[in-house]
Amino acid sequence: MGYAEYISEFETLVSRYVPERSSWGPPEQALYGPTDPYRVPTEEANDLCFKAVKFQFDRHYHHNRMYHDFCQEAGVGPEDIKAYEDLSKIPLIPNEFFKDCPTGKDFALWLGNLYTGELPQIRIKGTNPSADQVVSAFNDAGLFVLFSSGTGGRHTFTPRDKRSFDMNEYAMAKGVAAMFCPTWNPRMNGYLLLPNPFKTNLFAGKLATIFYDIMNEVESAVDRKIDTELIRLTMGDGKGVKGRMIKYISKKRSRKTIDDIISWIEQNDKEGKGMAFVGAPFLLFSTIKKLKEQGRSFDLGDRGAVLTGGGWKLHEDQRMPESEFRKDVESVLGIKPKNVIDLYGMVEGNVWLTQCPEGHYLHIPNCYVYPMVLDDSYRPLGYGKLGRFAFLDGTMYSYPGFIITNDRVRLLERCPVCGRPGPVLEPGVTRVPGKESRGCAEEVRKIISVDMKR
Amino acid sequence: MTTLAEIKSNGYMPQRAYLRLMVNGGLSLSKVILLNMRELRRLRVVPADGERYNRPARQYEVPVFKEGMRSCSSREKYLRPTLFCDPHDPVVVAIAHELGAFQVSDRQFTENAYHFVKERMLLEERQINDVRETLMRGSGTCFHLITAFIALCRCAGIKARYKIFAMNMIRSWYDVVIQPDPFIKKWYDSLGYFVLEGEGEVLVDGEWLVANVGPEAEWQAATGTTITKLGEDSIGNWFNAVPGTMMRMESLPYGLKASLDLLHTIAPGSMERVNISMAAQKERGRKILIEAGGLEAYDRLARARQGPRMPKLKLESRDQITFDG
Repeated sequence: MGYAEYISEFETLVSRYVPERSSWGPPEQALYGPTDPYRVPTEEANDLCFKAVKFQFDRHYHHNRMYHDFCQEAGVGPEDIKAYEDLSKIPLIPNEFFKDCPTGKDFALWLGNLYTGELPQIRIKGTNPSADQVVSAFNDAGLFVLFSSGTGGRHTFTPRDKRSFDMNEYAMAKGVAAMFCPTWNPRMNGYLLLPNPFKTNLFAGKLATIFYDIMNEVESAVDRKIDTELIRLTMGDGKGVKGRMIKYISKKRSRKTIDDIISWIEQNDKEGKGMAFVGAPFLLFSTIKKLKEQGRSFDLGDRGAVLTGGGWKLHEDQRMPESEFRKDVESVLGIKPKNVIDLYGMVEGNVWLTQCPEGHYLHIPNCYVYPMVLDDSYRPLGYGKLGRFAFLDGTMYSYPGFIITNDRVRLLERCPVCGRPGPVLEPGVTRVPGKESRGCAEEVRKIISVDMKR
Repeated sequence: MTTLAEIKSNGYMPQRAYLRLMVNGGLSLSKVILLNMRELRRLRVVPADGERYNRPARQYEVPVFKEGMRSCSSREKYLRPTLFCDPHDPVVVAIAHELGAFQVSDRQFTENAYHFVKERMLLEERQINDVRETLMRGSGTCFHLITAFIALCRCAGIKARYKIFAMNMIRSWYDVVIQPDPFIKKWYDSLGYFVLEGEGEVLVDGEWLVANVGPEAEWQAATGTTITKLGEDSIGNWFNAVPGTMMRMESLPYGLKASLDLLHTIAPGSMERVNISMAAQKERGRKILIEAGGLEAYDRLARARQGPRMPKLKLESRDQITFDG
């Protein structure tokens, strides 16, 4: 099967995430247009990226008062962005901003004022609504307010409209499908090493919604409702009877998760089915560890694929070397390293970087993402330098997706291993010193491992 | 004679949060005094051979008041005279006139007054007094300097008020203000929130702008903070407000003067040591500014160190968001 046929099968399955072609603007052209987001010739990619980012910048500048004032303070307006090279002038928002939100009714107003454009009618109950009540009210109105990274005690909250959420899902799945070609197929069964996307607004869970469309049968490791309150209680500051009960239940369930994963592998292996593991590497690592202890292994070969994401922390002070992980996956599950791919993304953007199977460098979808690496004074550095990752997201309609992260990366103009034309990040993204660890996997790890280790 | 109605409407009576802080601060102070009588006796005076504080000379000439210099005569809230803050005092009027009162835009005048107080008046621990005395001396605590700024703005017909809160300070401030004196340190450490801090707020073009006029540039350089501008807050920068203690006031309240007087009576030596420490830090700050290549160069560096700029999000009501309850 050639790539065209392969990706066409994918496109059919995800058609509900793609708007009518006649309605496409520059962001849609940049995201949905290319058949392989990582193989667009540089000049064409830059042109698509410029149009998409410029479109979003104009939109947020004119329809988001906060961002308009921010740009005016920086002395940058749409008239200053005339060519691709000007994109680096666009004012960037530190990701910390999305953590700095008030409580109660003010939280609802914070979300409402952060949002670009017309909000739907949102009705919030209670005199002093909790964060979960506000999030539910927004989402009941058709939005996708997602939260993340409560690891430092403060959640990141972002409001997406349906269009932006769909673009997020599509962007992630398309990148993964492109890199996994030809291993992925819709007959594969999937195991999400993540919370059930239909039972949470946690980004680490919700992002996996699209996997229910592109795989046959999907199970999830954390099949319970997860909200900020449960995270708070599970992560340790939940005292009293309720907190203790939740921790007890959580502990019981967590221990069972690894056994469930092993049973799932056995069952699918017996039936000769394809298997995809998607999510936190920590959980698969624990599964492999248990299988090793039991002296067992599988030979899934090309029937198996592993898609990890969200960080490589094993314990509070121990990181898992990615190459070791791939070796373990091969020796215990029989899945080749080329089919073990890591994904880099975050709740603040629709930006998904996918590792290439050849060299495991993180490829940037430069048709709709303008990447930057910043020095300590927040000025752009060139290629090859180590610095803070920042990006301009050309697909984010609901708030300005022009973000400075706390991740320390090295940006390269080309992948030194594979022939794909776009820029890449070296594998092994780390946190800027002084910033707490975060990432989807870190959240899942915390939720599950805190109890497993007790 | 101030009437009861005036006391109430001008906000001379302390707010509940303020009273709570005073009670807690008083109890804490009493405890520290009782448990440290001997040390207090030793610390209340600076030894004869010890370093003394010499107030630097005033950094500006006080202009002469002349007939025809105007001041805003409105009795409206935030424009009228309040405790220790008489915007009609001839010294205030003369300085306001020199800064452009009724000659430049409100925005420009506010900037001028901000820079005058922040850059030419000195931070110094001392008892509360009338604004005239503060301007004649050219120095004072943050409350003196805020009062000077507020008086100048009110004189020019620009509404201005106090924002007062209990705070926790960053380490570099603690090392200079609290650490040098064991008595102050014990008091601060025993409760952590007795130290009240304030800022001015001024209404320009329909928006309340914060004005942190207290620390001079040299002081900010010594503590590693940015050189703040009009509209930039000390909260989140070098102070954190203790939750539930933020108060906005038209006037300094009754009781503030008495509590500072008490502190200066009990521990004059401690106050002097804080002033000596601050003076030494300002000298250090001067050197830091020179080494950095000047004020602007230092500020650029400090801002870069502090992290990227954050957007400011105003919590405005949105028609589409409704609350039941």
